[in-house]
Amino acid sequence: MAQTLTVEAPKGEKVVLTGIARSKGKAAGEAMVFSHRFGWAFNHVGNEDGKILTAGWDHHGESVEGKIVVYPTVTGSTSGAISLYYKVKQSKHGPKAIICREIFPFDISGAIAAEIPAVDKCDQDPITTIKTGDWVEIDAPKAGQKATVTITRKAE
Amino acid sequence: MKLTKFQQEMLDGKHGEAKKFCMDKLTDFGEAVEAKEMVDLSLVLCGCPIYSKNPRDPKTLEKLNAYDIGHSRLYDPIFAMKDAHVADETGTVCGGDPYFVQFDKVNETGYPWNFEIPGKGSFKVDNEMFQGLKAGYDKQMEHGWLPWSSCNPYLNTRIPKMGEYCASSESSAACYINTVLGARSNRESPVNTTYAAYTGCMPKYGTHLDENRAAKCIVEIDDEVRDNLKGMADWGALGACIANKAENRIMAVLNLPITKMSAGATKNLISCASPGMNDPMLHLMGITPESPTLEAAFKGKMPKNPERFKVTMEDITEMYRYLNSLAPAPGPDGAKPVDVVIIGCPHATLDEVREVARLVKGRKVKPGVLLWVQTDTPTYFMAHHYGDAKIIEDAGGKIYHQTCMAFNPFRHYPKNLTVATSSFKYVKLCAGFGAEGTTWIYANPVALVDAAVNGVFKPTARWDYWSQPKEKRLASESVQPLYDGSLPMVS
Repeated sequence: MAQTLTVEAPKGEKVVLTGIARSKGKAAGEAMVFSHRFGWAFNHVGNEDGKILTAGWDHHGESVEGKIVVYPTVTGSTSGAISLYYKVKQSKHGPKAIICREIFPFDISGAIAAEIPAVDKCDQDPITTIKTGDWVEIDAPKAGQKATVTITRKAE
Repeated sequence: MKLTKFQQEMLDGKHGEAKKFCMDKLTDFGEAVEAKEMVDLSLVLCGCPIYSKNPRDPKTLEKLNAYDIGHSRLYDPIFAMKDAHVADETGTVCGGDPYFVQFDKVNETGYPWNFEIPGKGSFKVDNEMFQGLKAGYDKQMEHGWLPWSSCNPYLNTRIPKMGEYCASSESSAACYINTVLGARSNRESPVNTTYAAYTGCMPKYGTHLDENRAAKCIVEIDDEVRDNLKGMADWGALGACIANKAENRIMAVLNLPITKMSAGATKNLISCASPGMNDPMLHLMGITPESPTLEAAFKGKMPKNPERFKVTMEDITEMYRYLNSLAPAPGPDGAKPVDVVIIGCPHATLDEVREVARLVKGRKVKPGVLLWVQTDTPTYFMAHHYGDAKIIEDAGGKIYHQTCMAFNPFRHYPKNLTVATSSFKYVKLCAGFGAEGTTWIYANPVALVDAAVNGVFKPTARWDYWSQPKEKRLASESVQPLYDGSLPMVS
């Protein structure tokens, strides 16, 4: 994950959020923000391609691969935990990190198994503060402890 | 996290490599959710892995991408350990959700793992994946897992009691355990249940804790709803409406027709927990053991005027409309062609199986249409013993166990199938999933069995009645006989 931090961030306004790390790690990538509850299960996000399958969801048909995925909290099957793990570790179509308003416990366990950072309870609402396409860097050293989320606005 | 002597010994490796490995993983999770201690488990409901010798081989990986829900590789390190055994010796009964075949019928046709629909195409389970699942199943048995492959072992295999703790990755089971049995389970991550099976304990958090089980609002069932729910899909729709009204909060539910709720009705009602709500708990007043009073449902913190919502028949019919609009089936109203009629998500209870048998008795499923009833192992054998299975099979339908259609590589089914079901979970979770052009119909078993026999879906007269605007509906009472005299139309 440290490697990805060497990618030069686009120039633009920076906003820093402070939250709680639920799964430790560092990550940087482009944000993909969902306005609604979201789930990682294979029926919502394809295990074989990382594509959003659910009718009516934001970003329908797009892939989560390499994104920092931001959503309010979970919806749908507990298999989201293992499908997240699978997409990151096996099929390699997974996200780089997740940020939630309040992360549901089975998403925490999926992120831990996938070894990607997960952050929630930020001091500003991540759903309205982070926009799809923003560059986001996460530093989450220890589960249960403080994590920082640095947002660089996408150049207009 | 404070551990007991035995838990600490497991973590220290005194009870073998597997228990140490799993305790390490669960301790990590416990820190993330800020748990203070662990609880002993009476039931673990997890899943069976596809045990693959070369999961990284590109051809195998391509298949796993379609077949593996994602949990299989978690088992690899445990399966490689010599001393691994689940914690059944200390009282934890472990088993898995259904997966994609009934082992002894893998080569028989007309089932979710092997079928053909003329004009649409065919599907047959991949042999390497089947062998992998069988290897995972055998290995689990060797480790002391019970091979129930079911959504509802809580009904007939290990029935948790009030005060016990469970870890269920099957959401509907977790909700039934909390709501009806009074034991405590989170909607557990299958990552955690894999490990918890071997340790017999897991961090105490979430729905294990009193403060996370408290009702936050009240949902009241309108008398008209209470007196007129009839079909299994009605119960699913009611659960969905309750969950919608409460907006993802735990609620106390008032005015349920408790004496009319069969095992199937109750299961379908509480199956709203996923995908309708996140916390697997409803306080069904009169049923939920820990909630003899509203005050108890709110865990002693009931506000003076708790938020209160009502579920009306209009809400129920609107839920039917919504579910039928997610991936709408093509064709004219009253004659939408169907390919698959499926009952049993979560796995059908005996009363659901018997209802299908009653409805299909002496009739024939239209050639080219598949009628599938999926159930758990004890119910499958009961249905054979009691004669219901024979009735369904004589009519051309199929009944099977160990399996769920949605755990087949459903995206690789033939395109443009129309699937009709009484399962809220299926429609809500699968609309958009599946092969291109897959569409869904949500209806009661009466209409579903008719659709299997006729090849086209037509709503019942009961639906025609209830789906009218309320004033029109009430006005029609004076000039039209009731659709069914067995229950009052209006209370």
